Parts: sequence; structure tokens; C-alpha cells
Amino acid sequence: MPVNPVTCDPLSSSDLLRASARRRYWRGRVQRVLVAAGASFVLLGLFAIPVYLVAAVAASRASVGVDWAHLGLLFAGSLRATACAIAVALPLGFATAMFSAHFCAPRLRAWLKPALEMLEAVPTVVLGLVAATSFAPWLKSHVATLLALLVALPALLLAAGFAFGRPSRHDGWLPLSVLPLLCAIVAFGLWLSSRAQAPWIVPASPWNATLVGLALGVAALPLVFSVAEDALFLVPREQTQAAFALGATRWQALTTVVLPAAGAGLFAAALLGIARCFGETMIVLMASGNTAIGGFDPLIGLRSLGADIALGMPDAAPASAVWRDLLVATLALLASTVLLSLAAGFVRARLQRRLHAGAAA
Amino acid sequence: MNGTRAATAATWMLGGLVGLCIATMLGLLFFTLGSGLASLRPGTLERITLADGSSRLAEVVADDGNALLLRTSETRRLGEGYERVRRGDVVARSEPVDAFMIGLGDGRRVLGVGDDAALAAAVGSVGALARVVEVLRPNALGAFEGAGIFLRRLARFVATPPDASNLAGGVLPALVGTVTLVLLMSVLVMPFGVAAAVYLHERRGVGARIVRTAIDTLAGVPAIVYGVLGLGLFVHGIGAGIDRWFYADRLPVPTFGGGGLLWAALTLALLTLPVVVVSVEQGLARIPSSLRDGSLALGATREETLWRLLLPAARPAVLTGFVLAIARAAGSVAPLMLVGMVKLAPASPLDGAFPYLHPSRQFMHLGFAVYDAALASPDAIRGVPRAYACAMLLVCVVIVLNLSAILLRNRLRDRYRALES
Amino acid sequence: MSNSVTPAIDGGASVSREQAAGAAPALRTRALSLWYGARRALDAVDLDVPARRITALIGPSGCGKSSLLRCLNRLNDEIEGTRVEGEVRLGEADVYAPDAFVHELRRRVGIVFQRPNPFPLSVHDNVAYGLRLLGIRSRRELDERVEAALKAAALWDEVASRLDDGALGLSLGQQQRLVIARAIAVEPEVLMLDEPASALDPAATLRFEELLHELAGRYTLLLVTHNMQQAARVSDFTAFMHAGRLIEFGDTDALFTNPRERQTEDFITGRYG
Repeated sequence: MPVNPVTCDPLSSSDLLRASARRRYWRGRVQRVLVAAGASFVLLGLFAIPVYLVAAVAASRASVGVDWAHLGLLFAGSLRATACAIAVALPLGFATAMFSAHFCAPRLRAWLKPALEMLEAVPTVVLGLVAATSFAPWLKSHVATLLALLVALPALLLAAGFAFGRPSRHDGWLPLSVLPLLCAIVAFGLWLSSRAQAPWIVPASPWNATLVGLALGVAALPLVFSVAEDALFLVPREQTQAAFALGATRWQALTTVVLPAAGAGLFAAALLGIARCFGETMIVLMASGNTAIGGFDPLIGLRSLGADIALGMPDAAPASAVWRDLLVATLALLASTVLLSLAAGFVRARLQRRLHAGAAA
Repeated sequence: MNGTRAATAATWMLGGLVGLCIATMLGLLFFTLGSGLASLRPGTLERITLADGSSRLAEVVADDGNALLLRTSETRRLGEGYERVRRGDVVARSEPVDAFMIGLGDGRRVLGVGDDAALAAAVGSVGALARVVEVLRPNALGAFEGAGIFLRRLARFVATPPDASNLAGGVLPALVGTVTLVLLMSVLVMPFGVAAAVYLHERRGVGARIVRTAIDTLAGVPAIVYGVLGLGLFVHGIGAGIDRWFYADRLPVPTFGGGGLLWAALTLALLTLPVVVVSVEQGLARIPSSLRDGSLALGATREETLWRLLLPAARPAVLTGFVLAIARAAGSVAPLMLVGMVKLAPASPLDGAFPYLHPSRQFMHLGFAVYDAALASPDAIRGVPRAYACAMLLVCVVIVLNLSAILLRNRLRDRYRALES
Repeated sequence: MSNSVTPAIDGGASVSREQAAGAAPALRTRALSLWYGARRALDAVDLDVPARRITALIGPSGCGKSSLLRCLNRLNDEIEGTRVEGEVRLGEADVYAPDAFVHELRRRVGIVFQRPNPFPLSVHDNVAYGLRLLGIRSRRELDERVEAALKAAALWDEVASRLDDGALGLSLGQQQRLVIARAIAVEPEVLMLDEPASALDPAATLRFEELLHELAGRYTLLLVTHNMQQAARVSDFTAFMHAGRLIEFGDTDALFTNPRERQTEDFITGRYG
């Protein structure tokens, strides 16, 4: 057995080593079991949610049946809020993702991504606060202004692009260079609206689906952005390079190569955004008026599943019909969001497989 | 050529939308911070003279173009001094230099005009019945004095408890409650989160796929659903059971059978579990496999490699997960509304009496303070600025946490780049 | 490592050559085959690695040299879908016995990779890593063993003053010697080196080869190299592999000047790479 040239004894007395080797082997196995146990708590936690809900509903001995009409109104309310929210989150989120993945100057992207992460980190209660207390009064008398701006901004940007745009190296910094134009359009719109005597469109209540949609859309925007951007980045660079080599502009490469390839990923981003909006509670609680009305009007209030649960549960007695109804509402909320999440995950996995089938070497 | 022009135009629109995004983000941030700071700034007092000859000494609280909302002196009751006057009726407005304001402990503000002797007399008479918190002449403040008052108000806001009905004083209990909550939650979530991440990193079979799907699904569950689980299963289920077995003598007053710090921490631990798992697993996955091979080649078992080499190397990722979990917990209000967060806690969950931490007690939370002050406050005009002050504090905390997570992630990336090169 | 006494399997049809000292081979394989999934990487390799000598393993890229090394210390166990048939013996003991402690095997059969892979720890802690695994806790003993290992790897003079500095700050040549010091600190019997000098510049490579000569007196060295001149310079014995099969094994000088097999001669003279 080799001996160390210094004064230490050789390590190789085999009894000592064999005992320690055995001890280390068993210690490793114990640690592995502990890790598996810890991981299984995750499973426990996951399954505890639906199991508890279903069991509690089934075990409820309330005498009255489930109030399906009310539940329907809540569901419709959540849908209405979600619809308004994704009308904001999808265009902005997709646009930002497409820009960041395809056009953005790297230095700008290094700031853009963290900035959107910061936005995601802002607690929704703060968004709800701004919407409910400061934005609501303004919106009450400026609905027409908002609509006009929503239409005018993209249109005027397109027009400006036609008139002044030239493909340039600095396109990567467009958001910043176009910002003055944006501010000018908004300022002009606000000035115009201040000349008007009375608001053209008056909502029934300052707390309505539109207000909720704006705040909720801003809250869901970072999620849509990050999932969509991931999908766009999945498209192999070689394909876009090939398009450039054939003479395509960046925009044409985006629309003809990248979007068709990553389209499923954008769809998944939309699904996840919808799931997020559907499940959000605080913003809706603060900005929707919490009135259980149905219908499609974006200018009236609503009551969402989440808000109903948050308001009703603290005071509901555990054995009552109200409690059971709230549990059913929770189940509905859970089922909808989980189904959307699973569908999105499935779509993303398929996209990953399709785009990287050849890259497995 | 037309195609190129259209393409450029479309690119401009895209860029414009991104610019709109950026503007919204910045606007939101500055608006929140600005409103929060403004609520602590000393405003001016005006003497409003009306058409009928009467005059008021008041703060102008709101101005919607048609009318002014004034808050005059509140000598007896909080909120008694609000008055709405039409703009058309206002004849003159001035800012008398000798106006003074006495702020009281319960939030009332007593206004008056006069020299120092009058001020002292007023303070004496008011101070006999209530606690005087601050005395100032708002119209005669220099820049430094104004800044000093602002800073003192900020300090008071952060470091003192609120008065009854949460309209004055500070938010210290909410801060303490939030901090205690997130610390207890991290003690619960970190071990399980790291274990699950290690499991996902080491194993590749069916079990790992199931756990991964579980994590992804948990990430998509709405926060309020966790609250329902917390209330139904933890509070009414396990908590009631604990009460029946160990605290039966205290019934019907619940110990663990009502909402409290422990159940809230447990609920949030489940909520933030996916965040920790994803962060730690990403950190482990980015360690080059050459390191792992090197350790195995020296005769280490897989577990020894993990605990002695890989996890220490992934320390920034573990820290990132920790920080992100805390940030998420600090911002989650909805689930906590169901499991133990209250408007005004009767006793703090952290105090000087053994065992110092009382996990069965209810607690206050900064996010809930925002909601409560904005929408459930008896004095809505005071409530909203206070809500913004709380929101400003909350946003600052969350942003600092997320910034440190980003910095940690950058350090991790640099470290791995050094390893791989 | 189960040290049960099993009778040595008769050499039989191997092409091994005992050296003049007549010592038993340190490592022996019999009919060793390896599959990565459906692809066969090693085909019935019979190899005797002579003790305390340097054996070079040469062959065109993809012939299975690295795979063979990874079989000898069971590093292939970490890869999914691998299957091994045949026998590997370290001295008397069966490496693939079901009750073998793999980690103890890997201590006794060390490996150094192509790219140096020091841990993100200090120089001292890199070398002490394996020692701490073995339960050595005394600071004094650790320091002594670390110094001995660094001296044996001809690195002590260069790092004695910066033992607590990060190992990643060393040059590539120093890092590779650190990796060797780390490996010999746990007193292996065999040290396998997989193209250890390919990341080093010529000056560092020469110093490295001198180190190999020094180490050969104490450890059995098995050196995979694509550089035939290096094999000729450094090794006592050479094994030539092609397409997963061991074609020829013998004394280095004899193999290079007078190869028995046609394939060996073609490879050595450069008819294919």
C-alpha cells in the first residue's frame, strides 16, 4: 500500500476505512429518504387542497341546496373582469415580449426584464389602492377619453411610423425614443378632454369592470411577458438568421418565422394570464364594487369568486350553507385555474419538444 | 419598399406599446411613492373668505374643480371639521403667517392663529385633555424645518403604534407582525423547499416528474384558495383539534382554533413553496457537472457531494429563493384575511413575555393596513393618504427585497461563468 | 469495497505481459463490455494494468478510451441507460459486486479529467475535501496531509503562501496539478488520467509529464492520451484500442517500434487518425 512520505500514518488500514465507508453509505441512504420525505410534503400540500375542499363540501350537512344562481353570477363576474384585464395584458405583454426578444437593444433589455420583474413584485393591494382611490374618480368622468386614447395611440404610432420611420440601427431603443411622442399624444388627449363640458359616457358606478380590467391587466402583464418571451427565445437562432439571409426585415422575420414557430407558446402565455386574472382577489375586491351583477357591460360593477370568498368566509360559520357555498366557489376557482395551468403546461411542453427535437445531441 | 415602410411602422407601434408599458410602470411607482411621501409632508393652512363674509381657517384637503373640501380645526372629535365649499363662493384665499397647527395623539388637528403666547395658551388648554404630538406653524416653515418635520413624521410613522381606529400614529405593530410572519414562514418553507429542489435535481424517474408537476400546479393556484385551506383545514380542523386536546380549559375562547400567526405562516409557506423550489433547483442545475464528477471521483457519495459541495455552491440561489419568498409573503393580503390577520391585534405576537413568540395570536400586516385604511376606514379622507403611506412602505420593502434577489442572481451567474471557463 | 477473498481468476486468453518485477496487475478486466443504451462502446476488453507503472491508452477518438476509464471506477453508474457486462477486479476484489461500496472504490481508483475542475473553494480546502470525507478533522493533521499531497504534486512551492486563496485563481497548469494533489491526498492505489495535459500549454505539459514520472513509483497510472509522442515519452506500457476493442497491449518501446497488429501499425504511422 502506498505510504505518505510525511509522518502521517497511511490511510489505508482497511478496517478503519471499511467501517467509515459503511457508515457513510448508510448515512447517505438516510439522507436520501429524508429528502424524499420532504419532497413528498409538497405532494401532500398539493393534494390537501382539493381533497379538503371536496371532503368538506361532501360532509356538509346544510339543509339548503347550493345557490347555483349566485355562483353563476360570481363566475360571470370573474369572467368579465378577466376579459377586460386580458384586453390590456395581452397586447402590452405580447408587444413587450416580441420587442424584447427580437428588436430590443441588449442594454435596454438588461433594464427591461428586471423592471418587469419589479412590476410583478408590486403587491396587488397597492395596485388596487391606486385604482380604487385615485384612478376611479378620474375614470368616472373620462371614460370617453380613455377609449379615444386606446384607439388613437396605436393608430397614431402607426401613422408616425409610416411618416417618419426608417429602419435604423437604433430601433433597439424605440421605446425610449418614441416616449416623447407617446407623452405628446396622451397630453393632447387629456387637454382635449378638459375642454369638454360634460363627460360623454358616464358609468353607472366609478367601480366597474373597466377599472378592474386596467389594474388587473397591469398586474398580469409581467407574467404574460415572461412566458411569451421564453417561448419566443425557444425558436432557434438559425431560423431567424436564415430569414435575414433571404432579405427579410426584422419585422418580417418576426411575423413569418418566429411567431408561427412560437405561436403555441404565446397561446400558453395567454392561458396563464387568464388563469392569473381569474384567480386574483385583492384588486377585484378593492376596485369592483363587489356587486353581484351579470351581463357583459364593462361599465358596471361585478363580484368575483375570489372577492366573494374573501368577504364571506371570515364570518361564515363552518357548518352553515353559506360556508358550503363558499367552498363550492373555491372549488370552481381552483378547478378553472388548475385546468388552465395544466393546459398551458401541456402546450409549452409540446412546443419545447417540437422546436428542439433536433437539438438533442 | 412599401413592405419595409409597413414593417417599420409596425415596429414603431411595437416600440410605442413597450414605451407605454415602461411609462405605466414608472408612473405607478412614482405615483405610489410620491403620494405616500406627500401624506407625511406638512401642508399649508389657508384662510378662506367666502361670499357671505365668513372666513375659515383650514387645510384644503381636496379640490375637484367645482368645490373645495376643507378640514377646519377639530377641537372635540376627529373628523368633525370637514366642510365643502363651492369654488364660486370663495372670495379670497390667503396664507396667514402666524397660523399654527397642534397635532394630537389621536390624530386630531387643532388650528389657530396668533403669536407665540397665544400658541402656548392653546397648547396648554388642549394638552390638558389630550396628548400633544407636534406643534408647528405650517406657513412659516423654512426648507430645513419642513424637512425636519417630515422626517420626524416618517420616524413616528414607522416606529410607533397606531391609535384606536388606525387613523393616526404609526404602523409599528403591522411592521412587527409582517416581519414575524415572514420569518416564521421561512423557517417552515426553506427546509421543505430545499428538500424538494434537491429531490428534483437528483432523481429523474416518475416520482420526480410527479413532484415537478405538483410544483408547477401549486404555482398556479390562486392565493385565496390557500387562504380557504388555511381557514378550513388548519384553523377549524387542526386548530380546533389542538384546542380540544390541549387547551380545553380555555374553551370556548379559541387558542389555536382561531386565526393566528402559526396558521398564517403555514398557509404562506405552502403558497411560497414553488418560488423556493424553482429558485434552488435552477441554482443546482447551473452548477457544471464537472464539479459533481470531481467530487464523486474523490470517493464522495452522492449525498456527500450534494451537501458538502453543490448546495454550498448554490448558496446564492438558496438565498434568492428565500428573499423572493419573503417578498411574496409581504405582499400577499388575500389569504391572510382569512387566517388570522386583523385590523387591530389585541396583543402582539412578539413580546417580552416568555416564550416571546406567540404563534397562536392574531397579528397585523402592512398590506392589510393598506386595504383597511383605504376602504374600511371611518374617516375616508384621512384613510386614503394613510393607505398610501403604508403602500409606500410596503413597496419600498418589496422592491429592496427583489433588487437584492436580482443582485444575488447576477453574482450567481458570474460565479458559474468563472467555474465553467 | 467488499474485501472478501475470492480466488484470482486465471488470466486465460488475455494479451497481458507481466513486467520484469513480476508483480500482480493492479487492475484487471475480463470480457468487459459497455453499452450506452443500444450503442456498444466497449467490446470484450481484457486488460491487465501493471502495478506502479505508467500505462498509456491510445487510439482514435471515439474508440472507447474514456469510457473504459469510467468503467474502472464505476463513474458510468451515474449515467442513465448504461449497461456493463464482464468483470473488473481491483486487486482481488470484484469492482461490480452488488454489495460493493462504490464511493470507496472511487477513492482507491482516482481520476483526473481533461479540463481541470477545482472546486470553488480555497486551495487548501480543495485538497482537504477528500480527507474531510474520510473523517479527518484535526486541523494539524489536515494541514500535514495537504502539504504532503501538494508536495507530491509538485505544486507546494507555488501555493504555499496562498493556501487560503481561491483555487479558481490559479493557472490551468497549476489547477491540473491541484486536481492531482486532491486525488492523491486520499491515497488511491490507481490514478487514471484522461488526456490530462490537453488543456495545457507545452511548457506546462512538459512539467506535467515530469510529475507523472515521479508519481509512477508510488501509484499505478493509467493515462489516456491522443498524443502518441506523449505516450511514447511517458509510459512504460501502452494499450491500443479501436472501436471499443483492445487491439494490442505491450511494452511501449516494443509496441511503437515493432507493433504486432496491422491496425496498431496503421494508427501509429498515421494512416488514420
